[in-house]
Amino acid sequence: MVYNFFKNLTSEATLRGISSVLHKQRLFCTAAQASQILATNEKHITSFRTAESNPLKHNFDHAYRFYTIPVEVKNQLFQHGGLPKYFNEQAKAFMETCVMVRDPALEILHYLKTADYSRPAIRYVIYGESGCGKSITLAHILHYGLTAGFLLIHVPWVPNWMRVCKEVSNSATREGYVDLNLDAAEWLIHFKNQNAALLNNIDLRVSKEYAWSKREKTEEGVPLLELVEHGINRVKYASECVVALVKEIKLHSTQGRCKTLVVIDGFNAFFHPRTRVVTAEKIQVPPSKITLTEAFIEITKYDWCNGAVILTVDKTGVADDRRESFLPIYQLGKEGFEHLDPFVPISVREYSEKELESCLDYYVDRRWLQNEKSFTEEGRKELKYLCGMNPRRLMHVCAPL
Amino acid sequence: MSAIAISSKYVGGRRDVKNIPAVIHPSVHPFSSDMFNSMSDTEEFRVLDLKQKKQTPFRRKFKKQDVMPPRTTMMPVDQDWGNVWPGPRTFHPAVVPLPVRQGYNEKDAPPGKFGNAELMKIPNFLHLTPPVVTSDYCHSSPDIRNPLARIVTIKVKLGRLPLNKHARDKILRLVGERYNPENDVLTIMTDRCPLRQQNLDYAHYLLTALFHESWKIEPWESEKSEADMEYYDWEASASRKSVMRLLSWSPDQDAVQISADFILSDLTEYKEAISKIMNEGEEEYTLNRYKEEVKKLLSLQDVSSTE
Repeated sequence: MVYNFFKNLTSEATLRGISSVLHKQRLFCTAAQASQILATNEKHITSFRTAESNPLKHNFDHAYRFYTIPVEVKNQLFQHGGLPKYFNEQAKAFMETCVMVRDPALEILHYLKTADYSRPAIRYVIYGESGCGKSITLAHILHYGLTAGFLLIHVPWVPNWMRVCKEVSNSATREGYVDLNLDAAEWLIHFKNQNAALLNNIDLRVSKEYAWSKREKTEEGVPLLELVEHGINRVKYASECVVALVKEIKLHSTQGRCKTLVVIDGFNAFFHPRTRVVTAEKIQVPPSKITLTEAFIEITKYDWCNGAVILTVDKTGVADDRRESFLPIYQLGKEGFEHLDPFVPISVREYSEKELESCLDYYVDRRWLQNEKSFTEEGRKELKYLCGMNPRRLMHVCAPL
Repeated sequence: MSAIAISSKYVGGRRDVKNIPAVIHPSVHPFSSDMFNSMSDTEEFRVLDLKQKKQTPFRRKFKKQDVMPPRTTMMPVDQDWGNVWPGPRTFHPAVVPLPVRQGYNEKDAPPGKFGNAELMKIPNFLHLTPPVVTSDYCHSSPDIRNPLARIVTIKVKLGRLPLNKHARDKILRLVGERYNPENDVLTIMTDRCPLRQQNLDYAHYLLTALFHESWKIEPWESEKSEADMEYYDWEASASRKSVMRLLSWSPDQDAVQISADFILSDLTEYKEAISKIMNEGEEEYTLNRYKEEVKKLLSLQDVSSTE
């Protein structure tokens, strides 16, 4: 009944000739802003917004415009991190998660669409000054990966493991290695959250038997999700589960059963010699001695196909002694460079004039900029100089206005 | 006017108001005894010297001595100045044949050189004229030998030395920052010996030793690894290995391997790009070049090609 009623209402609206506005409105906004958006000029909206929320269809026509990540997608992808803290808070205030379609993301999407997947996985390394939008670019690509049916291996922020790990214990199976059990289990939950739907559709099975202890083992041929579940339930084996899972996925990918998108933020933290992970004997552990590292080093190697690897290097992800430059080879260090070479460096820069205008328009539209000066040419110029075209600084500068 | 003559005719007569002082000093009383005695000897009246002339003590008259005219007037134009002014000394106007002026006169030219204390106060370098000076370091002190004069610097253009690739690399490692790559000059400075000649000998010895040492090949030099390389050698690098492995990789282990020669012909530009990053440093330009080469290597399409 109710459904029919709405249907009739819509058709009536079409007759009245306001359908396009309503249609757009339904596509790109939540009900809360409906009245507001209706009042705004549609032409004006299209200058900074795009209704195209399917990243598969994003191209350079949508550049500099914001698109909305649907709520359910956001919940699936970024439930356990992935969006920067302040960006997330702002998205909460706006009651929608909007991401600007920017050149680096479009470039990577283009490569992902055109690459030859029978060849070894291509490693893309995103670099840029902090606050320029590396993580947001990753979010955009993740959304693309989800829509395009990739299996996602996503690490929201590697330095979290190296700095504020929750639990440290010596590995039972590997001599001299250290497990971060709770972090590994958390990651498995994150993985399950992102991929459960996909894994239920495609049938991936464990290729060999894993014996965790005398009594516990994962049989050959059980679904991959069972391996994940085991890691979540038996936290003690979570790290080993991650390693096993990654190896399994690599194998399945190579054999063409699935396509895999590896997305790791702050990858250079794996190659900085120092961490804050300390054993019970108060000995600092290098990243190479952490079991989780092995899993993600393994998946970023070249020796598999049907996948792509997208990494970011960030100078805020490592200790002070490696913060002189944000350029990727410096950030990765010799070891990291040799591991990734040859990779495709992708630069994320500060906002261009157009992008800045678009962002300010969006803030005005969200009633985030209420100061009347922010509508004037002069006020915008001032904001531009205050933030130095840096997206994050612009966000902070605009917050109290 | 001060001495008043009184003749006997006028004694007791009218006083010449004009000429006689109002007060007569008691010591020269007109009627003292010796005055009367001398009166009997001569016809003439003696002069009464009321105010005796003070006897001035004998003073030798200052006689200005004859001074020779300044030497400068007699100096030949082609004299050997080193003999005239052989060592450091205070300025002397008569010796220096120059119209020097020093000091300040209000509304007038600066004082000339004669009797000019200013010119004597300041140190002069008249003993250090170019024909005299042969040493590097001289100064206006009693000893003109400066201890810094012992230091010897020799500069050699490295390209002129007969060195092969290995010897050149080794000599560069041995000399360290004494070599300037911009102009290819090796600079050796010696200062450990007290005399200049000794230091010069030592510098020659050092150069000889460096040259011969760089031609030697020690047994441990075969252990040179990638980190010891003076420049990035892509042929021996891990990058080359990983690229080769990546290009020859295929999902089936026993698939046809691409021959190494075929691959290498494609890789020269990639090699150049990566060597440039490693040797010249990572910056936006070199990184972009690397990116383009990697894209070619992995056969990625350009974004602009589809637009």
